[in-house]
Order: sequence, then structure tokens, then C-alpha cells
Amino acid sequence: MGRTVLVFRLVLADVRRHKAQAAMLLLAVTVATATLALGLSLGGATQTLYEETRAATAGPDVVALAPDPGPDVTPALASLAHAPEVVAHNGPYRIVYATLTAHRTASLVVVHGAADKPGAVDRPLVTSGHWVRSGGAVLERGFATALGAGVGDRVTISGRTYPVVGIAVTAATPVFPWAPQIGPGGGPSDGGGLVWLTQSDARALASRDLPVTMAMDLKLRDPAATEAFIDAHRHTFNTRVNFHSWQFMAHQDTVMLNDTQPILVVGSWLLSFLAITGVAALAAGRAAEQTRRAGLLKAVGATPGLIAAVLLTEYLALALLADALGLAVARLAEPAIATPTASRIGGVGGPTGAIIIATTVLAVAVAALSALPPTLRALRTATVTALAVTAHRPRHRPWLTALSALLPTPLLLGLRLTARRPGRAVLHGCSTAVTLIAITALITYDAQPRWGFAQHREGWGPGLSGLPDLRADHDGRLLLAVSVLLIALATVNTVTLTWSTAMEARANMAIARTLGATPGQISAGLSIAQLLPALPGAVAGVPLGILLSGQVTTLPVSWIAAAALVILLATTALTAVPARFAARRPVAQTLSAEAA
Amino acid sequence: MQDAVLAMLAKEPSHGYHLRARLQRSLGPLGESMNPGQIYVTLARLEKAGLVVCERADGLPDRPERKVYALTPAGQQRVATWLSEVSWPKPDLAEFHLKLVAAAAARLADPVELVAAQRRELLRRMREAQRAVLAEPEGSAAVLLLEGVVLRLQADLRWLAACERAWSKVDDEVEDA
Amino acid sequence: MNVVSARGLVKQHGHGQGRVRAVDEVDLEVPRGEMLAVMGPSGCGKSTLLHLLGGLERPTGGEVWLAGRRVDTLSERALARLRRRSVGFVFQAFHLMEELSAAENVELPALLAGRSRREARRRASLLLDRVGLAGRARHLPSQLSGGQRQRVAIARALVNEPLVVLADEPTGNLDTAATLDVLRIFEELRSAGQTFVIVTHDERVAATADRLVSMRDGMFVDDTRLAGTGTGWLGGLAGLEG
Repeated sequence: MGRTVLVFRLVLADVRRHKAQAAMLLLAVTVATATLALGLSLGGATQTLYEETRAATAGPDVVALAPDPGPDVTPALASLAHAPEVVAHNGPYRIVYATLTAHRTASLVVVHGAADKPGAVDRPLVTSGHWVRSGGAVLERGFATALGAGVGDRVTISGRTYPVVGIAVTAATPVFPWAPQIGPGGGPSDGGGLVWLTQSDARALASRDLPVTMAMDLKLRDPAATEAFIDAHRHTFNTRVNFHSWQFMAHQDTVMLNDTQPILVVGSWLLSFLAITGVAALAAGRAAEQTRRAGLLKAVGATPGLIAAVLLTEYLALALLADALGLAVARLAEPAIATPTASRIGGVGGPTGAIIIATTVLAVAVAALSALPPTLRALRTATVTALAVTAHRPRHRPWLTALSALLPTPLLLGLRLTARRPGRAVLHGCSTAVTLIAITALITYDAQPRWGFAQHREGWGPGLSGLPDLRADHDGRLLLAVSVLLIALATVNTVTLTWSTAMEARANMAIARTLGATPGQISAGLSIAQLLPALPGAVAGVPLGILLSGQVTTLPVSWIAAAALVILLATTALTAVPARFAARRPVAQTLSAEAA
Repeated sequence: MQDAVLAMLAKEPSHGYHLRARLQRSLGPLGESMNPGQIYVTLARLEKAGLVVCERADGLPDRPERKVYALTPAGQQRVATWLSEVSWPKPDLAEFHLKLVAAAAARLADPVELVAAQRRELLRRMREAQRAVLAEPEGSAAVLLLEGVVLRLQADLRWLAACERAWSKVDDEVEDA
Repeated sequence: MNVVSARGLVKQHGHGQGRVRAVDEVDLEVPRGEMLAVMGPSGCGKSTLLHLLGGLERPTGGEVWLAGRRVDTLSERALARLRRRSVGFVFQAFHLMEELSAAENVELPALLAGRSRREARRRASLLLDRVGLAGRARHLPSQLSGGQRQRVAIARALVNEPLVVLADEPTGNLDTAATLDVLRIFEELRSAGQTFVIVTHDERVAATADRLVSMRDGMFVDDTRLAGTGTGWLGGLAGLEG
């Protein structure tokens, strides 16, 4: 008991003394775990959303679509209602292919002829306004969002204007822009919005020579047995009938989020990597101090176990706190990220056990990977050595030193500093590479030509534009957000790395000052020590970023080159501040502190 | 000095000039101040006391340099006694201490000033001993002796520093009062 | 001509009530070729004085002159340049760069001063030879004993032929034998005309100097010339009466 209190007290005292480092650790791990939690929860999220919408709208188990015109169609569909597996149905109803314009924006739409009072199957949930009435249109919510239309607006459908009387969601079609499911005549669909009109308004619309598909919603006795039902009935008609099961529509929803998940999952790995880099830099920067602390504890009789507990608990506790924070952030951000469509209702469930385990493993891994090496080193160092000298014996790198002798003074100092900490140089190179991977991916993604949804094949009339590509916009925003997080973390890392290098090199810097190096030379040397590893990092990051952004048709070379240059310049600027600060420290003070 | 010469003869009988060379080797620059005839004066005294005997070498002319000296049993006894003795030169610190006390009490002089003067003197001595140490070649036996001189002076200087601190404090208290 | 001089030198640490005068109105003149020792208890301000003379700290008041040039008003940059050529530091904690070999440590100031690589190397090997470490040129400081490290540091201080060597407790971390090695090198340099200011609390080190200044509470309390005093007492002190 006393031991636990002791560990707790020591850890608390240390955190209090190193607030900035603790905050940095917390931030890095929180960002990484939050992103990972989001990425992992997306798969389940769309499923949940579809199921909630289906429950709230009495979604059909199977939708039968008959695209061919003719007198056989309606009886064929009607006969399905009498199939033994079917317990309830809606329709047959018309699906009219039309165009809709509102606010100078145009879109393809399908118009469903809807009953005034929906029956037992497919009861769209009206989220504002009210259900269809003669002369009034109800817009599907995802479509309305893309269109920017609300109740009270007026929309023109193939030449006739209707007031919008309501907004609703349904589980009978996939999310916007895939509501048409099949195109006119059973052909491929270009996507489009969904509008409900009364049956007579739909019939009136259809009479103006627009393509029509007949459809029927079916409720089965066993909702899971959709495949068997479809197989049994697929070839029983003398007209074409397409069946869409509810599982198929749920899957369509997932496709919607297909790109989002990799962005988040890969993003979270990159973020975790940066987190490890940053935290490792922190831990390494404090290695000497930790070794001394371990020596002190050993000298007063602490067991290796207790010392390891003290050294590791701090990192683990902070990492676990960050894990909890990350999960909370993910929970809050999930509705915005997991529902890139307004076509579905419902909230997202909390993180599942598997996700909690995954993020906790990540957090513990960050803490362990970064804190374990210094802890082990501290434990291995003999007590007396630990108390007497700085624990780390730098290795001699004759060729680097010899090379540096040929260079101007700042480069000489910089290179000799880099030689001191090769591991840190690698960390910094990787950190730069990761940042460039993200930025290159972002730029490449942004440069890809977009195929608009719900576009009319012959184009729109003068003065009209198509609907925004909600999915691509959403993914772009997400990529931007992840990139911003990556850049932020990389910035913090660069400053941390420079500062810890400066802290460790302060004795050498002070010595160089006594030997006649100017403060300018010292800070230039420190900056160069950071910039040198950043160069190969930048070179490696570009191709990896292009690789990550997937299928590439256009490569914005100049933009990427500019980004690499900006990153290097930013690194210089970022290192300059702590370097300058460190170089200005009074020499005498540093030297006497080192000697003590 | 007598004891040291006796002890040097314990190894083997020896010529006077040989003894003198051995002494000088051990003393280094300190031996230079020794009077060249001093060793013979000492040997003559020891002979008179019956501690050494003098054997003339090979019928050569009667010259002191040709004499070989050897220990008598009494001399051997004396060497054994000397080796087991643990007497040590007494540092005479009481005198200086009393000088300071008296000077302070009678207000004859400032004890701190006395300490400073003494310190200067000891530092000069130390400088000389220190230089002698540095001038000795590597492996010289005399270095150890000179090192002893330096370390004793160092001890004395440290004591003077302690005296200075103590008497400065007394001064301060007098001024404060 | 004075190599180093100071007039009314003051260094104050802290503010208000906690204000301490580490160096309090000190006047000092060190002529060329003199070895000056500054002695005093810890915290008397002797290290601060040395830092002020070498331009590592800036005085609160007074003037510091180095080789006829006033240095307390120079910019950091100009001061650094002056240090390269004119001042060699030797510290108690050696302050060698741990990842550089002995020779590389010694040649560093020469490279900083803009000498060619070849010249720097030549000077380094010459000086290492002079301090008796010719065979250790490629060793890292961690592979050397304390005394050897300090000799490397002395070689480094000398590589640019400085006007003055400023040594701060140069033997503070050394045993007797290593102390003697260092003092022997100092003595050799002194006879060759090198100017020294040595701060120490070791009487042995102080006793090698030509002149000894005692410092207390930031002020000089005693200034003694040790050089050129009488002889003949050595035998007496060792117990050899005439």
C-alpha cells in the first residue's frame, strides 16, 4: 500500500514538474487514439444507421423493380404480394425519372408515387413539414441537404413547379445519390435525388413522356431469408424484375463510406507514428535525468521493480488518460464523420469493446515504445555511474567529424551535433516524411477530376449547375482534418526534437561558445542539425504520399514540390526559435550547472 | 641524523663517501644544504660511542675516505630500537595560537593581520617546495619527501585559514557590539 | 603591458532583497607573462571574476580590458571572435566534447578560428605531444583518465596561442599525481612566457603562481607577490638541521 502511494507521489511530482511534456504526451496520444477509434468504428456505424432508419420507417425487406413498360408489369408485381413468404407489401407504385431544378441547381431525380397514408411497409419518416398532399412534393433528406432546399421552397420537376411540403427519410432506397437504384429502362443509373409526390401527381408527371419504372416494397416473414426469396422468384416473370434486398441497400451505404475509413485508419497509424516520435523524443530528452533519478532511488534502496514502476507509470498513466480522452473525442466527432449523408437517422453507438481494446493497445504501445528504452537503460546503469555522470556515452563517428571539418562553422557544429544523436535524426526524418505523405496525399487527392453525381448526360441548361459531390467533399474535408492534425503534431514534434537536442547539446554549445563560436553560429548549427535529417525525410515522403492517395490520374508536381519546400522552410523556421533561445543562454550558467 | 646513518650501515659496511652519496640521493635538493664533512663528524661521534667500528682498507694511506665503517652489536641494537620507535616531530602550533590570543587581548596587533603575514610566509615556502617537486625528475626518491613538506605546509595553511575565519568573526562581533 | 585588466568591476546577481554582489568593485592588472592565482572560499566570486574576464558573463559595472581592448561593451559576436584568438579556458569539469576524440577536441577552436584543416591537425598533434598525450590522440574523453582529460583541455586552450589562459579550478577534480602533471605543464608554459589567471582553492596550485590574490565576498582582501623570495629553509622544514 505504502509502495503504491510512493509511486503515485513520485509520478505526480514529476508530472507537476514537467507540465509541458505531460501535455505534449497527452495531446499526441489523444489525437492518435481518437483517429483510430473513429476509423475503426466507421465500419459498424453505417450498418447501425441503416438499421435504425429501417426500424423507424418500417423499411421493406425486398424492393422489386420492374423497368420495362407494358401491361404485364403491374400484375406481375401484384402477384408477388400473394407469395407465401410475403406478409405485407406497399405498391406497386410508379418511379418516374425526371429532372429537378431549385435555386439554379439542377439534378436528376426519381419521383415515387406515394400513398396519402403509408401502409404497413415503407413508412417514410417525415423529419420536417408533413407527408405528401396533392400538388406538394416531399424531398428525401439527403437530397434536400445537397440541394440546400427546405420546407416552403419551390422546386421545378420536369417543367412543373411544386412547393416542398415536407422532408423525409426512407430505408427503401440507398442513400443519396443512389436513390434511383436502376436507370431508365433498367439501364445504369447516374444517381439522383428522391422526391415523393402523390400517386395522381406522379401519374400526371409520367404522362409527360418520362421514363417510368414500377416498384413494389415487400415485407417477408423471415427478413433474413431475402436471398432465398429472390432466388425463388427471379425467373418467374415474363417481364424483367430486379430485386434489391435490404442487406444490399445497407451494403450500398457502406460503399458510401469506403474511402472515409482508410483515410482515418491510415491517418491514425501516421498520427500514432508521429505520437511515438514525439513522445520518444521527449523521453530520450529526459533519459539522462531519468537515469539519475533511477540511481537516486537505487541508492536509497528501491528495487528495480519499484523504479521501473515509477518511470513507466508516468507514461502509462498519461497514455491511458489520453486513451480515454481520445475515445471521448471520437464519440463526439463520430456523428459528424460517420454520417456523411442526411439520408439516414439515428445516432451512433458508443465505442465497442474491440475498439476500446485497440486504442488502449495503441496508447500503451506509444507509452511503452517511447519510455521503455530509457527506463531499461536507467535500470541497467550502475547506481554510482548513474549518479556521477550523464548516462549516455555518445559514439565516435570519425568520418562525420572529419567531413564536418571541411565545412563552414555552423555546418561543422550542426554535423557534429547530428553525429551525437543519430537516432534522433532518424526520428526527425521520419516525422518529416510522415508530414509530407499526408500533404502529398491531400494535394494529389484534391487534384483528381471529380465525376459529379446526378448529372444529366446531356448536361444542364444555361445558368444551371449540378449538385455538389457530398461524398467527395466529405472525404476531402476529412483528409484535410487528418492532414492538419498531422501537421500540428509534426510541428510540435519538430519543436520538441529541436528543444531536446538543444537541451542535450547545451553543454557542448556552451563549450563551443567558450571556444569562440558566436551565438549565431550555434543557433545555425542547431537548425542545420534538424534540417539535415529533414531533407531525406521530405524526399521519401513524396512518393509514399502519392502511393497512399491511390489511383492517380493527375500529378500536381509543382504543388508537391512547393509543399516539400514549404515543409523544409517551416522546419528551419520552427527550429530557429528554440535554437536561438538555446544559443542565447548564458554560457557561465550552463557550464556551472553541468559541472555540478 | 645519527640514527639514519646507523640504519644505512645495517645493510653492509660502507665507505663514508658512499654513505654520503646515498643520503644525498634520498634527500634530493634537500641534501644539497648538507655540509660535506658532516657525515664524517657524525661517524666519528658514533665510533666514539662504540656503535660503529672503523676498518682501514688494504693498508692504504690513513685518509678518512678510505675508511670502511661497520655496525657493532650495540649499534645493531640501537638501529632495532630506532626502527620500533614511534616518536614524531611535534608541530608547534601552540606558540602561534597564543601569539594571536595575546595580540588580541593586549590590542598589540590585529590577529587577522598576523595570520595574513604568516600565510604569505608559508605560501612563499610552499612555492619553493612546490617548485622543487616540479623540478625533480620522474621517479626521484626525494619527491616523496618534498611532497611531505608541501602537504604539511598545506595543512598549516588550512589551519591559518581557519584561524583567519575565526578571528575575522571576533573582529566583526567587536565592531557590531 | 597588461594583458588583462579590470577597473571597478561589479557583477550583481538577482534583484531587490535577494541581490548579491558576486564581484564588488574589483581592480586588477595582469602583465604579460605573469601567472596570477585567485584564491578564496567557495562562493567568494572568483569563478564569476574569471567569467567576466573571459567575456562569458557581462559585468553589471566597470570595465574589462583584454590586450588593450575594452571588451565589456563588445557585442556577443565580437566577443566570441575575440575569445577564439585571445583567450583559452581550462575548467574544473574539463568540458570536453564527449563524442569527439582528443585530437578533434583540440583542433576544434583552431577550426572555429578559421584555420585550415591541415593546420588545425598539425597544431593539435603538436600540443598533444607537448602535454604528453601523443599516443592518445584518437581516444575519446571517456577512455581517458581525469588527468589526461584535463591535459587535453589544456592543449585545446592553447591551440590558438591565446594571450591569456583562464583556468577555473583546473585541478579540482584531480588526484595528487594528476595535479602535479597539470602544474608541471603550467610551469613549463609560464617559463615560456604564457600569461595565466588561475582561480583555485587549492594552496598547492596557488603556490605555483607569481602572484596571489585572495578574494572574499566579491572583494580582493590580499595581494601577495610570491616570486623571488629567499631559500635555505627547505632542509629545516624537512627536519634536517644544518
